[in-house]
Amino acid sequence: MATANIKDVKRRIKSVENTMQITKAMELVATSKLRSAKERAVASQPYFNTLYETMCEIQQDRGFKSIYTKKEFLKTVLVVVLAGDRGLAGGFNHNVLKLAEEKIKSLEQDGRTVKVFPIGKKAVEYFEKRKYEIYNKDYQISDNLSMSKSLSLSESIITGFRNGIYDKVELIYTTFVSTLVQNAMSVTVLPIENNDLEHSEKDDAAKKEQKTSLTLYEPSAEEVFDGLIPKYISGLIFCSIIDSYASEQAARRTAMESASDNASEMIDSLSLLYNRARQAQITQELNEIVSGQMGNN
Amino acid sequence: MVIIMNSYKLKIVTPEKIFFDGETEQITVRTTEGDIGILANHIKYVCNIVAGPLRVKQNSGDYREAALSEGILKVSDEGVTVLVSTAEWADEIDLERAEKAKQKAENILADQSRADEFGRAEIKLKRALARISVGKRYS
Repeated sequence: MATANIKDVKRRIKSVENTMQITKAMELVATSKLRSAKERAVASQPYFNTLYETMCEIQQDRGFKSIYTKKEFLKTVLVVVLAGDRGLAGGFNHNVLKLAEEKIKSLEQDGRTVKVFPIGKKAVEYFEKRKYEIYNKDYQISDNLSMSKSLSLSESIITGFRNGIYDKVELIYTTFVSTLVQNAMSVTVLPIENNDLEHSEKDDAAKKEQKTSLTLYEPSAEEVFDGLIPKYISGLIFCSIIDSYASEQAARRTAMESASDNASEMIDSLSLLYNRARQAQITQELNEIVSGQMGNN
Repeated sequence: MVIIMNSYKLKIVTPEKIFFDGETEQITVRTTEGDIGILANHIKYVCNIVAGPLRVKQNSGDYREAALSEGILKVSDEGVTVLVSTAEWADEIDLERAEKAKQKAENILADQSRADEFGRAEIKLKRALARISVGKRYS
């Protein structure tokens, strides 16, 4: 019995060690990917800050309507869901998909038609399986989406909005709070909320007029604004893709770290078991030898 | 001796990096209204840029050329900021890739059944054409 036990324990230790090697490697990979994702997020910051500033300035300058600010009866909503391509990332995919499903349910209860735009293999699989109406499933890969890819992605979202296929766009993704905390959240991308604009209009009309005369817009503020919005939206989407990617890597890193920790704990307790079994076997063998000797005498 | 301040700060920013950050005397860009040149002490100004060439005057007096895609240009008291989706110096342009992108966009535009993709294809075609025209002059 003791011998069989020893073999079993040995095999288990071996297999846990192998698993640990994998989780350890995945942890290291996720760490380095997380670092590069963070760098990309930092590199993209100046662009979006300036973009946002300019947009606010134009908004403050003049009050006007744009097709991106229209508030219609919102019958069809496009829900863009950003998830990962692979599992083994703790609750990362689960959290974002769960939030998406809740959001869709509440939208449907309000009598709206929902179209889903999943990004990332896990999201595509999830919504296909549950028979949601899928708007576009060309983006199966969310891993390291390049700038040009995310540009064409947001262009397709904007085109659909302009063509009136849907009149509201919700984006659901995971935001990176820290290496340990990532939150799934949803934001409204389109139509653009115009609250700031109305606010400033009422507050300081005089200041507004003064500002209007200062900057020259060519061909007109409206056109500059309309040209700016698609860029703002692609910026928003690009940012959230980076954000979601960083979250995925962070979630994977944490999950793999605890898996490695668990594995080493398991190895410890298994080695203890193994040593005990080995000791028991030796004791038994000694016993047999001694009693054999005594029998001879 | 009178020192004339005729250079200004130029910043060209893309989502991936800060493409250019430095002093220049003059730039030329293509806007929706046509090409414009900007010298120092320009009034506050904002306009849309279409995909096209950008010329930046260097200290030595000659121009360095780059291909920009669509974006905006903003002149403020602090200097000139150009925000574009992509930017490449003439010597960085991959002509082969641009030709391929041009071909692909043209194919879409020629196909009536893909009318819903026309908007995107047009943007891509313009970008490719800007790259080709700038890149060819330098290759």
